[in-house]
This record gives sequence, structure tokens and C-alpha cells, in this order.
Amino acid sequence: MSSRQLFVRDLLVLFGLTGWALAIPGFGSEFAVSMALTCLMYIALSSSWALFCGSTRYLSLATSAFFGIGAYTGALLLEQLAWLPVIALGAAVAAAVAVLMGAAVLHLRGTYFAVLTFGMTELIRHAISYFEKSVTGTVGRVLMVVPERDTVYFTLLALAVIAVALSIAIRRTRFGLAMRGIGADEQRAQTLGVNTRFIKIAGFALTAAVAGAVGAAMSVRWTYIDPHTVFNPFIGFQTVLIALIGGAMTLWGPLIAAIVFSVLAETLRLQVPQLYMVSLGLLLILSVLYLPGGLASLRAETFRGWRDGAKLWWRETREDLSGETQRRKLRDKQLRERRDVF
Amino acid sequence: MSFSAWLELLASGLITGGIYALVALGLNLQYGLMRILNIAHGEFLMVGAYLTWMVQTTFGLSPLWMVPVSFGLLMGLGLVLHWLCFRRLTATSPNLDIFEARGLMVSFGLMFLVQNVVSYVWGGDLRGYDFLTDPVPVGNAQFAANKLLVFALALLFSGALIALLRLTLLGKGVRALMQSPVGAQLVGIDTRRLHPLMFGVGLGLSGVAGCLLSMAYTISPSMGEPYTVTALIVITLGGFGSMSGALAGGLLLGVIEALGMHFTNPSLKALLSYVVFIGVLLLRPEGLFARKGRRA
Repeated sequence: MSSRQLFVRDLLVLFGLTGWALAIPGFGSEFAVSMALTCLMYIALSSSWALFCGSTRYLSLATSAFFGIGAYTGALLLEQLAWLPVIALGAAVAAAVAVLMGAAVLHLRGTYFAVLTFGMTELIRHAISYFEKSVTGTVGRVLMVVPERDTVYFTLLALAVIAVALSIAIRRTRFGLAMRGIGADEQRAQTLGVNTRFIKIAGFALTAAVAGAVGAAMSVRWTYIDPHTVFNPFIGFQTVLIALIGGAMTLWGPLIAAIVFSVLAETLRLQVPQLYMVSLGLLLILSVLYLPGGLASLRAETFRGWRDGAKLWWRETREDLSGETQRRKLRDKQLRERRDVF
Repeated sequence: MSFSAWLELLASGLITGGIYALVALGLNLQYGLMRILNIAHGEFLMVGAYLTWMVQTTFGLSPLWMVPVSFGLLMGLGLVLHWLCFRRLTATSPNLDIFEARGLMVSFGLMFLVQNVVSYVWGGDLRGYDFLTDPVPVGNAQFAANKLLVFALALLFSGALIALLRLTLLGKGVRALMQSPVGAQLVGIDTRRLHPLMFGVGLGLSGVAGCLLSMAYTISPSMGEPYTVTALIVITLGGFGSMSGALAGGLLLGVIEALGMHFTNPSLKALLSYVVFIGVLLLRPEGLFARKGRRA
């Protein structure tokens, strides 16, 4: 397929999925809608994460910081402003923080960057809980005025669609190509005239804006927020896990993995919460080891590769155990010695 | 503030700092040597603590006996984990950057795995036992005996590890591996055996730390993460892979926290350590004590 055909196909798939998601509140039960909400939240978070971090290979663990900042902005402004400006402001504040944070840390690569973003997230969380405790005198906040369930649902749906549409569109622009170039080789991209600093900060802020908007929209769903729940590092971890297991470089991978995980989470978490987390950890390890490209890179050849690998491993173990390897080495040595006599 | 109060403050900071240094030993070996940033470090520490607690409460054995046992058990676990995960990771990763990122992800997986297996097996409650809880007067001040013991053992283990790395042939091999893996291979160091061994020793040390910590603090399945963060802060302060740096960094962090908490307010403790962490990472990513020209 040509690039244009792919573009049209992606848009059509997105259009179809959106239509399907639009119908859920109409016929689904309360449980189905709440599951769909979690699903949409993680689709938006992990697609936007993959948009920047997947293509530039900067592993950011700061998603929960932006989510929490959005949630707090939403909670503070909800009584004064209308719904849409609240979401927009949540996104704007998160993006502003991301610009500051990015300017400070985006020159560091690899593990340093990951660890620093994590540290900054925790710093923000502790700072806000300290501020709330000592200045405001509360631990958390109760949201009095909350919009209807369907408003929250459609807002999150819109955010998820925006996140996926952004990834579809940005892949084709100079901006997206520049980010891919940074991921492949940052110095080369710089040599070829890419303003890497600007691109990185802009991409980071874009990711943060989506996360902030999602945070602002989700806070009303919870009706009670405190720093511990909205800055929960687990939100950030799970976003990263979903994007990586789905395939951070791919377009649909994060979406597929987000759906799989939300269904898994809602069904398992109620009965055996530990089992859900254990399977999350196990899946992550397996996908890093055996499927580095993520779920979306799964093809028939992958299975064939696994089968051949397993066969090879089994033959080697069998030969090791039966002493065949040693005998073969001995045979080869004797053969060499016989040959080298003359 | 009087002189003795100052001394007491400093001493309590040093004791906490010694414990921090102990917590950081294993992670320092793993990250400094093999570039595996083991986020699950605190989780393995918790496993060591739980093993000690279980043996202490069911058989009434002194927890000191569990120091070598938990070292051995966790070292075995480390060898198995290296064989299962990191061996393949080393073989399939095209370069060090990708290896680091993937290793980080694998250890994230391990973190979820271990933490939840433990909370499934032993439940999520706070646990603890009494061991040497009497206060010991030192000068005018009083310190808990178990903390003093943990501090002494922490210094002992750090010292032993530093001596091992400085003085023995094995230590020379390990240090060579830290400086340049390829160079070490070229001069005939068997990296294929040294790597799993050192990963195992790293986990074993976290088991020892957990065992010692369970003597002085209460334990729970979620205790691991703060210790991982502490260990990270300490090894960043000391410079990755430098054992004496980590010891100094741990002591320094303990003193900074004690002073900061005394002069401001105890709820600022976490905030303070993160500020130190971020400040060091941003301003001196090679560690506070690194000499110029040699980046760790």
C-alpha cells in the first residue's frame, strides 16, 4: 500500500472505532461504560506517550505528573469556569510544566532521563501534598459540581480520538519525521539541520497537554482527589507498559494494548488484584524479551521464528544431555588431528 | 543549640546514612557493573526482609542467622533471573543504550511480579518483630540497639565489599569489567561467568540489606519502592559504580536529611531527598566525588 492509501485506511479505521465507541453509552450497562472510560483514558495517555517517547526513544515516566497537574487544575477551576475551558486549561498548565521540565532535562538521554522524570514526578507530588497539608489545611478535595456521566464519556472519547488522530497526522509531517530522526540518531538529525531542542520540547509538551486534559476530565469522574491518587506513579507506569507492550513505534499498538489491558484490569482486579499485576509484569518481561516491537508487530513470521527458536533450543538441550555435543566435539577434534598429520 | 544536641543530630543522621549506604550496595554493583538499572531492587530487599521475618516468627531463630541464608537464597534467585532474562537481553540488544532501556523495562516487570507475589503470599499487612529494642546510652544521647547493630553491620559490609574490589584478583576483574566490558574480555576475563555472578551478588546484597532492615523497621509488601528511590539517590550522589562513593553518599544523605528535618519540618523529608537527587543529577550527573576527566 502506498503512503496515501495507508493514511486513508488509518483514518477510516479510526472513524469506525469512534462510531462504535459513540454508541456504547446508548446501550451499555453502567459497568460497560466505566470499563470503556478506563479504556479511553489509557488509549489517550499511551497513544500520546508513544507519539513522542516512542519515536524519539526518550523514556519519560512523567505521565502521572501531567495527569495529576491536569486533575488539580480541573478541580480548582471547575466551580468558576465552564467544562470545556477547564479541560483546555488543564492541558495548558500541564504543557507549560512540560516545557519547563523539558528545558531542564531533555538534554539527558536514556536511563538518566527516565530516572529524572520519575524523580520530578515524585517531587511534584510531594510538593503538592505538602502545600495542601500546610497551606490549605486539607488532604484531598471533594468536587461538588460534577458534569453528567455522558459529558465525561464524550470528552474522553474526543481526547482519545484527538490523540490517535494526532499520531496519524504527525507521522507524515516534518515534525514527526524530525522526531523519528532524533530517535534513530540524534547527532545526525542535528547535523541535517533539525532544531532538536525545539522539537523535543514541543513533542514533550504535546504529550503533556493530552495527559493534562485527560487528568482534568477524569478528576470529575472520581469526585474526590488527593495527591496520592492523581499523582499515583502507577498511572504513569501503566501508560508506559501499555505503549511498550503494544509497540511504542507503531500507531495502533498502544490502542490494542490499552483495550486488552483495560478489559483484563476490570475483570481480574475485582477478584484477584495481585494476579492482574503479576500478569502485567510477566507480560512486560515476555514482550521485552521476545517481542521487542510490541503486540502490533506480531505477524505469522514471528510465530515461525519462535517455533524455530524453540526447536533449536530443544535440540541443543537434548544433545547436551545425551552427551552428543561432547561426542561431536571429540569427533571434530579427531578429524582435525587426522587431517593435520600430513 | 548545644554541642551535644548537635552531636546527637549528626549521629542519628549518620546511622540512617549507614543504612542508606547498605541499601544502595547491591544496586550500585548491578548498575555500575552491568548497566542494569534494577528498579526491582527494593522488592528483592523486601523478599529478604520477609524471609527473615518468617523464620524469626515461626522458628524463633535469631535474625542474625538469616544474614548469610538470605544472601545465599537471593543470590540463587539472581542467578536464575539472569539466566532467564538478562542473558537473552545481552545477546539480542544491538547496543548499550537499547540494552539499558530494555533492562529497565524488564526490571519494572520484575517489580510488579515480585511485589504482588509477596503480597499474595504473605498479605498486605504491616509486619515486624522485636529484636534488641533496648536503648543504648552513648554519652548523653540514646540510640536503639538494633539500629546501632544495623549501622555497624552496614559499615562492615560496605568495607568488606570495597576491600574485595580493591584487593583481590576477582575485584580487579570486576573493576576492569566496570571500566570497559570489551577490554576486559580481550585480556581474558570470563565475562560470561562474571556477569551472572555479579548480578547474583547484587541481589544477595539486597537480601542482606532487607534482612538487617527487618530488625529495626516494620515491613510491608509496599516497602520496596522508597528504598529503591533511596538507593538511586545514594548511587547518584556517589557516582554510579563507585562503592566508596556510595558509602560517602549514603552517609551524606542521612546527615542532610537529619539536619533538614530538624531545621524545617519532618514532612519535608521526602521532598528534600528528591531535591537533592534532582539537583545532583542535573548539576553533577557523574557524582559528587568523581574526579575530573573520569566519567563513571
